[in-house]
Amino acid sequence: MENVSVIMLFLFVLFLLLGSGVWVGLALMGVAWVGMELFTTRPVGDVMLTTVWRASSSWTLTALPLFIWMGEVLYRTRLSEDMFRGLAPWLARLPGGLVHTNIVGCTVFAAVSGSSAATLTTVGKMSIPELRRRDYPETMIIGTLAGAATLGLMIPPSLTLIVYGVTINESISKLFFAGIVPGIVLAAMFMAYVAIMSFTSKRWNPTPEPRMSFGQKVANSRFLIPVFLLISVVIGSMYLGFATATEAAAFGVIGSLLLAAGQGSLNWRTFTESLMGATRTSAMIALILAGAAFLSLAMGFTGLPRGLADLIAQWDLSRFQLLMVLLVFYIILGMFLDGISSVVLTMAVVEPMVRQAGIDLIWFGIFIVVVVEMAQITPPIGFNLFVLQGMTDHEMGFIARAAFPMFLIMVVMVFVLIAFPEIATWLPDNIRKGPGG
Amino acid sequence: MRVLKLLRRGLDGLYLASGIAASLCLIAILTLIVLQMVARWTGEVFPGAPEYAGYAMAAASFLAFANALNRGAHIRVSIVLNAVSPGIRRWINVWCFAVGAAVAWYFVYYAQKFVYFSYKFKDISQGQDKTMLWIPQSTMLVGAIILAIALTDHLLHLLISGDHRIKRDLVDQSFGE
Repeated sequence: MENVSVIMLFLFVLFLLLGSGVWVGLALMGVAWVGMELFTTRPVGDVMLTTVWRASSSWTLTALPLFIWMGEVLYRTRLSEDMFRGLAPWLARLPGGLVHTNIVGCTVFAAVSGSSAATLTTVGKMSIPELRRRDYPETMIIGTLAGAATLGLMIPPSLTLIVYGVTINESISKLFFAGIVPGIVLAAMFMAYVAIMSFTSKRWNPTPEPRMSFGQKVANSRFLIPVFLLISVVIGSMYLGFATATEAAAFGVIGSLLLAAGQGSLNWRTFTESLMGATRTSAMIALILAGAAFLSLAMGFTGLPRGLADLIAQWDLSRFQLLMVLLVFYIILGMFLDGISSVVLTMAVVEPMVRQAGIDLIWFGIFIVVVVEMAQITPPIGFNLFVLQGMTDHEMGFIARAAFPMFLIMVVMVFVLIAFPEIATWLPDNIRKGPGG
Repeated sequence: MRVLKLLRRGLDGLYLASGIAASLCLIAILTLIVLQMVARWTGEVFPGAPEYAGYAMAAASFLAFANALNRGAHIRVSIVLNAVSPGIRRWINVWCFAVGAAVAWYFVYYAQKFVYFSYKFKDISQGQDKTMLWIPQSTMLVGAIILAIALTDHLLHLLISGDHRIKRDLVDQSFGE
């Protein structure tokens, strides 16, 4: 890193464009252009087009719109009602009662949706009013929902993991399977917290649920069968090697359309709304990815990634220390940027560092997802807080305080991941080889 | 004034039409992937399906950029924008649209060159599909032009009437986070 002042100028432009609110994808293209002009003599515009075209027309990327579409279709079904009705009888007897429907509901919906805010809206739509009616403490209702919704990013399908996999060229199926066990562990930790709070909190006296016979419970949850079928088809087809991530996504779209049709909630309006919504969201991510592809090329010319990797090697940081530095770095970054942008923006620089330190990149994908998930529930711009504000009319401060214990649990989760890396790496090492991995 | 109104309706129609075209590409992706799976199960080969799906992906993305912009789907860092007074916010927005439009028109200029050279030298895909590359590449060009027009449109609107025409939709946005 000889020309420090030029690098400073480059970083200044990056912060200026992103910070002033230029759309992330376009800002990254602009920054990359400045970087290329500063550091190379190559014809910038032509290089830009080749890079963007290659990044935008990739087959791996097609999993993205399809999984988004699947979530959009299911959002418009009766799923949130069915979920609450089907899960409540089974969870009512646990210590913590129906607050667990938030967590289990999010875990289940996370398995059909790749986004955390969509998980939050779908589950919260029904559970917030129902739990309020039964006098559960407001902070618990909101906190658990905010926390558990982040499972949407961890349990497959996950948009952040697709983007991560595309950016560093790793198998998306493997990343998906790496997320399953940590997701379930995190959900269990949330549930344990709820159980403990139900014993210790003074404000805990919800209306008890009427007893139900086993037959009634089963009758109430029969509506959940189609969703579980859909989940097992999507995840099972990948696990058994029948399908790639993209093909599983295609199963998912068709399955969710059938499910919606079976429920009678599929009509021309919901179909077109879900399709247009999915098109826009996937275009949003595609623009960021196009910008990021060009930026990582430009980053390579600046020598910044190589330089930082060497610097880290010189400092002789242990793996643990490096991960701690990255943890703090991503938490700070997450205060200003959304998850997908922070992943694509930093991977060009972070990837060589992480490889240098000998960290498994599949495992690191899960690590980074947990860390950017935390950002979803911390102010100033945690998107989930923003959505919850719209749904509950509470102040941002109240929601952030309610979600704070969940943030701490996620920090604990990071350390669990570091202490027992096998929970992320065991499953992906044991899937059957599929068509093209 | 009538000319302006016509122009307004024409542009809005253009953004909507390109959005619809993009969504048709999404259906095309789904169809291609299903066909490829069916072909594999029945022992047939569908040569070039991954490439076609990739082209449809590029088309779906680029054609939807303007539509996504109008609905506020594109992510931006809004922390400064939310903190300042409306008067300053307007000028920061002018800057954002100006930078955005500049980047987009720059892209368009090189995209037309890129597509023109693909056409002139009859570039053919490396995959099994043997497609003339300028055909799928021109969807990228068309989408980029519409995005550049949309950004310029918003910039002018912001300068003249003091307000851009982006309407945010929280539900829409939540699927990307």
